[in-house]
Amino acid sequence: MRLLPILCGLSLFSLPLQANDIVLISGGPALRSFEKYKKASHDKYWGNFIDSALTRAEELKKDLKADDKIVWLVFRPSYVSRTTEDQTDYLKIIEERSAKIGLSPIFFDNKTQLFTLLRRDGSKEKPKICRLEYFGHSNKKCWMFDYSNRVDGGALEPLVVHVDDLQKISGSSFTLDAECVSYGCHSGEEFSQRWRMIVGRPMVGAVGKTDYSDGGMPKLSTGKDGSWVY
Amino acid sequence: MGLLIPLFVWIATPAICLAPPLPTRSSAETTEADPQATTTPPADEPPETKDDEEIRKPVEEKVFRATLAAAHTPAKHGDTNGESWIAQRTMVEDYCGWGWVKKDKESWRQARWVALEGTPRSCPLPNTFLPRPEDDKNYQYRFFGTFAPYRAYEPQADMWVDVFILKGFMSLGPAKEEIRRPPPAQASSGVNRFADRAPNLLKP
Repeated sequence: MRLLPILCGLSLFSLPLQANDIVLISGGPALRSFEKYKKASHDKYWGNFIDSALTRAEELKKDLKADDKIVWLVFRPSYVSRTTEDQTDYLKIIEERSAKIGLSPIFFDNKTQLFTLLRRDGSKEKPKICRLEYFGHSNKKCWMFDYSNRVDGGALEPLVVHVDDLQKISGSSFTLDAECVSYGCHSGEEFSQRWRMIVGRPMVGAVGKTDYSDGGMPKLSTGKDGSWVY
Repeated sequence: MGLLIPLFVWIATPAICLAPPLPTRSSAETTEADPQATTTPPADEPPETKDDEEIRKPVEEKVFRATLAAAHTPAKHGDTNGESWIAQRTMVEDYCGWGWVKKDKESWRQARWVALEGTPRSCPLPNTFLPRPEDDKNYQYRFFGTFAPYRAYEPQADMWVDVFILKGFMSLGPAKEEIRRPPPAQASSGVNRFADRAPNLLKP
């Protein structure tokens, strides 16, 4: 009986370190045919959410633990339609750029697929998520993967993660100390708090708009009282 | 009292001598706490490296639109068979959607506000035939197509709108009058029970 705690301790030491996934999500760009003549015209550059995610992946690689892995999820349909509009094969460019830093994109086509990809049980095949970061269009209520791409100035329901959908993301898919960040506009005004209450992990989000126009990681738009909150 | 003055001088002198030097103007500027300073590069720094330029090289926009002032939507385009609706293009500032759609016998009061989704390769939106999207404002069309089983999210007003999938259309010309009815504006979700809970400010 006295040996039991010792054996338990030894068995803990013999367990290998649990590998985790770092998940980066890239939403899609708007179509220029919708945005070109607007005062606040979005996505003049097609790859805002691609470059920022790749820049972040490079940063995260520096401190990556031995068994941890970066998983990059990219919303495909918007890049397909922008490919048609610009007559440039963006999916190929995305794969080429990610290959340069040893990353491979996993494409998803709707939010149901995204929820499946985020469902983890801690097994070797589905390790838990220790960090999740989102790059894309959003407002205070939702992430919009196809903003102004199939309909002008909006996003279709199956391609939007609304606060009412957050119950489909389980907190048990994340490690206890998981960190989440949304680099979309206005996420800190409601989405972050709902994420924290429903998913159970804090999510840093922006109060105000975020700006991807300088390339690399997005910044809070200047000239307004923006801040990062969780 | 005579003894206290030298004692005070004896205590104060090392404190003055050992005090850290006052920061110079330039060093004060660089150490000033500015949360933006870490993210915003200084103005005189070269804006981008060569690699960045290559990666972010702007792609020439290939949005083809009519350029003639007299351009107009075609009288008929796409698949114009089957059930049809009367549609009137209505533009609302910063609001997702195309305009109002109703059945022939219905009044405009019964019309539904829709976001319009074109059919790739067979039927684009009518306004894409014009130089600018607003050029067919208050024009009427006969729409052929169906209502989508999904809705569209309108981010400015935070609401869901119906989606009409356009398969074909016929131009009916300018409408007699503008529809002044405001588009729907119910919230996309119930009252936010977390709204009264202030967010935690992230300290730099």
